[in-house]
Amino acid sequence: MVKGIPSFVKIFAIVYVTAIVLFVLGPLVVVAGVSFTAGDYVTFPPQGLSLRWYETIVSSPIYLEAALTSLKLAVLVTVTATLIGSAMAIVIHRARLPGAGIIAAFFLAPLVLPTIVFALGLLIAWSAYMGGTSLVTLWIGHTVIAVPYVIRTTLAVLSTSDKFLEEAGRTLGAGPWKAIFHVILPQAMQGIAAGAFFAFNISFDEAILSLFLRSPEIMTLPIQIYTQLEFSPDPSIAAASTMMILLTVIMIFVIDRLFGIQRVAG
Amino acid sequence: MHLLRHDLAIAAPGILLLLVAFVMPVSGILLLGVQDADRNFTLMHLTRFLTDPFYVAIGWRTVKLSLVITAICFAAGFPLAYIMARGGPKLRLWLLIAITLPLMTSVVVRTFGWMVILGRGGLVPQLMNALGLANRNFTLMQTETAIVIGMIQVLFPFMVLSILGVISKVDLRLEEAARVMGCSYLQSMRLVVLPLAMPGVIAGSLLVFTLSASYFITPTLLGGARLPVLASAIYETATKTLDWHFAAAQSIVLLAGVLLLMIPYARLSRKANG
Repeated sequence: MVKGIPSFVKIFAIVYVTAIVLFVLGPLVVVAGVSFTAGDYVTFPPQGLSLRWYETIVSSPIYLEAALTSLKLAVLVTVTATLIGSAMAIVIHRARLPGAGIIAAFFLAPLVLPTIVFALGLLIAWSAYMGGTSLVTLWIGHTVIAVPYVIRTTLAVLSTSDKFLEEAGRTLGAGPWKAIFHVILPQAMQGIAAGAFFAFNISFDEAILSLFLRSPEIMTLPIQIYTQLEFSPDPSIAAASTMMILLTVIMIFVIDRLFGIQRVAG
Repeated sequence: MHLLRHDLAIAAPGILLLLVAFVMPVSGILLLGVQDADRNFTLMHLTRFLTDPFYVAIGWRTVKLSLVITAICFAAGFPLAYIMARGGPKLRLWLLIAITLPLMTSVVVRTFGWMVILGRGGLVPQLMNALGLANRNFTLMQTETAIVIGMIQVLFPFMVLSILGVISKVDLRLEEAARVMGCSYLQSMRLVVLPLAMPGVIAGSLLVFTLSASYFITPTLLGGARLPVLASAIYETATKTLDWHFAAAQSIVLLAGVLLLMIPYARLSRKANG
């Protein structure tokens, strides 16, 4: 008789999965732990429990301003990336435009190309022709890297939708714009919404472009944390980081509800 | 014709954005890297990178670390992908969330977590001290080990997802057949599952390798200034010495390496999906 899975393999699998989960989530748990310390130093396990470092960050103008900048930027990026990404997804899905396949490949290029090369390019271009970087530079840069995600989620939904609904709408007298607003967009809404949350999350967490293009005017939350990590980390960084982790967790659950996290990965 | 014009109108803002904000800056880099101050063609920046022992060492460290990271990601990722493919949907979902959470968290936040764990007095040095492997002041910070650990945490999901995509399409009956024909469990893994999963393994490895070669925040924070990698050298050159020609030349080297590996990757993933 052939035995199923040998028991040593089962035991190994349990130990191994636990170890992996500890490894990938450990650092995030440690950050959250540090943020609740009552002590003055970054230590884990924390020394005593308190919310004093949360009080510190919500009363610190530096953190508040950085959070506000990040939020403003993320909202701007969400709007532009969602508009452009869903429009591109519709065009790519219809595949009527000559070279739609090339356009599709082209738009996914920012995913593959090292962000650092793109960041350097933006820095040099704006310094040479625009007299320096600003929030607008970062807005444009984040939009470019967020658009592929919106395209992907929107396309995933469109590819399972009924192609003939648009034709039906057109036959019944809807113009091309009307067909988009009344037929295609409602169908693709789920994917577009998931893409919008992705765009927000990408912009809010992004550090590479923000670091290259940094100027006093555009101190985002990740850059504020990075700067402090280079010099003098104290538990307030952990508190700010924990807020960011919390936001990401919420985003993942919202995306999963809207769209299914398995589809994003697949 | 009317419909085409309509499509073009919808696509125009996106295409314009991509051309002006992406294609132009990136091609600007490609030009700058092979130009001198008077805009004449020159290979001097590239030869400087390829002949200066300091930069050759950086290039070598980048390749070496990326190889180690890729190998560990494969060794740790293959069993997980298998478990996710063969386990129940609930387990798969939770594991997926667990490995994508760090991926979607800001790089500065998760690197900070590793700084606390690996630094002086952190969990790992304390554990090693308790086991008698290191003295009290031991730290893993500013080491290549720290860079590798920090990078694996983020790059690991890419490997797992690549392999998972292929393994979940492998017919379970093939494994059963191998077992019935007398293979042990591990033999069926080695002789049936692994060979069939190879496209996913190779695609995942190429992806992990290229991504790890272009990261710079994690290596900078965990490895420090003493252990620069190619991407952190680009950042230093661009923002500290402001030598844009040389920074661009280094980007060309990075880009050439990435593209070289991306071509087989694109072929493989098309095959895996199609």
